[in-house]
Amino acid sequence: MLGLLVAATLLAQDAPLSNNSVSINLPTDSPVALLGISTGSSRTTARGAALVLDLNLSLTLRNIGANRIHGVTLRVVSQEVALGGVGSVFQPGLNVGPGEAFPVHITTKLMRPAQMAGGPLLQVNLDGVLFQDLSFYGPDKLHSRRIMTASEMESQRDRLALKHLLEQGGSPALRAGILKIMARREALPQIQGRIVSGHAMTNAAVAAVTPERQEQFAFVQFPDGPIQLVRGSALIAGSEARTPSIEVRNLTAQAVKYVELGWVLTDSNGRAYMAGSLASTDPAFALPAGGSFKVSQEKTLDFSTNKEQLSIRKLTGFVNQVEFADGKVWVPNRQNIDGNPLLLQVLEPSAEEERLANLYVTKGLPALVEELKKY
Amino acid sequence: MRHPNQATLALHAGGDLGPFRRWMTARHLAHCTPCREEIAGFEEMRELLPELAALPDISWNRMAAEIKANIRLGLEAGECVRAAEMPIRRSASVSGWRTAVAFSSIVLLVGGCMVLEHPSPMVVHAAGTTVQSTGYGIQVQTGDERMLGLMNGGAQKVTYTLDAQGSMGARYIDPETGSVTINTVYAQ
Repeated sequence: MLGLLVAATLLAQDAPLSNNSVSINLPTDSPVALLGISTGSSRTTARGAALVLDLNLSLTLRNIGANRIHGVTLRVVSQEVALGGVGSVFQPGLNVGPGEAFPVHITTKLMRPAQMAGGPLLQVNLDGVLFQDLSFYGPDKLHSRRIMTASEMESQRDRLALKHLLEQGGSPALRAGILKIMARREALPQIQGRIVSGHAMTNAAVAAVTPERQEQFAFVQFPDGPIQLVRGSALIAGSEARTPSIEVRNLTAQAVKYVELGWVLTDSNGRAYMAGSLASTDPAFALPAGGSFKVSQEKTLDFSTNKEQLSIRKLTGFVNQVEFADGKVWVPNRQNIDGNPLLLQVLEPSAEEERLANLYVTKGLPALVEELKKY
Repeated sequence: MRHPNQATLALHAGGDLGPFRRWMTARHLAHCTPCREEIAGFEEMRELLPELAALPDISWNRMAAEIKANIRLGLEAGECVRAAEMPIRRSASVSGWRTAVAFSSIVLLVGGCMVLEHPSPMVVHAAGTTVQSTGYGIQVQTGDERMLGLMNGGAQKVTYTLDAQGSMGARYIDPETGSVTINTVYAQ
């Protein structure tokens, strides 16, 4: 209570954001140009020795290249020195022709020492642009090429499925398909996660109540998938899962440079939740044709639902994304997902499904049909 | 529009307002973005002061042992006093009432000891970088210091994704443009 009243007096030190606090950096050969920036209601607030920045930026970019743009990723940097100063804003599902403009909103909140001097408070750098033909431009510091390519492939997959519905059954079938997506979205079980770097320490009381155990992963294998999941486990204590590790085998004749595994948690009531992903970020990761590798992470993840800690009972893993050495990306097809009740239950609709469902809700079926015809 | 003062907002953020003022403030907040942001600021400031909510480090076993020792001392002292007493004639009802009170006290004390011997579980996390979702977006926090938080721009439905590598993503439809936006923050 006392802290809140003290905070009340500190909060009075409020000021609008100065123009030179934000730096937008685009390379000289960038395929996008900055048309305008609006700082809107952005402001800075002094809280004792800290400075809080509430940024509500609206950028307007223009495609100055010759290709249609299907995705853009911006790297948002508050500081590069310490952990946690970098974020990204990715806009998938774009379809911006040469010469056309498009908006990108960045809403961010920073807290930094007030006495930190020099330079802009926030830097926004272009990390990547994905074009219609899946070619890419950018420094790719955040692996934007792979992320945007995978997202674009999911978009193509799901647009194709909806176009197929339209061709086969007309508008009623398309409407039914969109409503099904929305129903899936509504039925998704809610889960909140938290990542803790390093190991979480449990005291003796916790050890007595919820002793840590090694839980083996069950697997969903896709018949046409390039990767086989061999075995895996994670250490589980109550709502915490740490050091997940899964051995994978490359079933193809091509070398693989990245594998991303999805994992599903089942709680003590038998309810399943999409927990997150486990990626092969180990610098030593190499998966030649027919080779095996253990994908693991040293992080602790803590899960809750409706503000109650989850009691983890079972882990299920599946292959979510694969990048081959030549840069090509594999994602599960619709049959892989639709044919598995567990995945259908826990996987959120793709970004494109969500965009098209939103278009149906806000502008109606004719607008959706027109949108599908553009591709 | 008349805004609640900062003390009222602070009390509201802490859940300390009375029912009527809470209702009045909530009604105002439903239509006032600046005050909602003010409340969010108070809530964040509240999170910055975890020591307010932290339990002191108490040696429960030692405390329980001391309480038990005091009980034994009291019982022995009672025996000493009883031995020195002159025998008097007591009614059965008075004797039963005293016994009941003494017995209840002992039960309460022993019960207290048992509770103290089995404190509720408490998880202590290592001080490190944490990535988590909040009501407004996702943020990275190291100790008590927040490094970067990407907000969801007033979106209604947000999908969060966790990467065991240490990043968290929030996907939502931008309410102004209708475009899908994916914010990601990284713990490393």
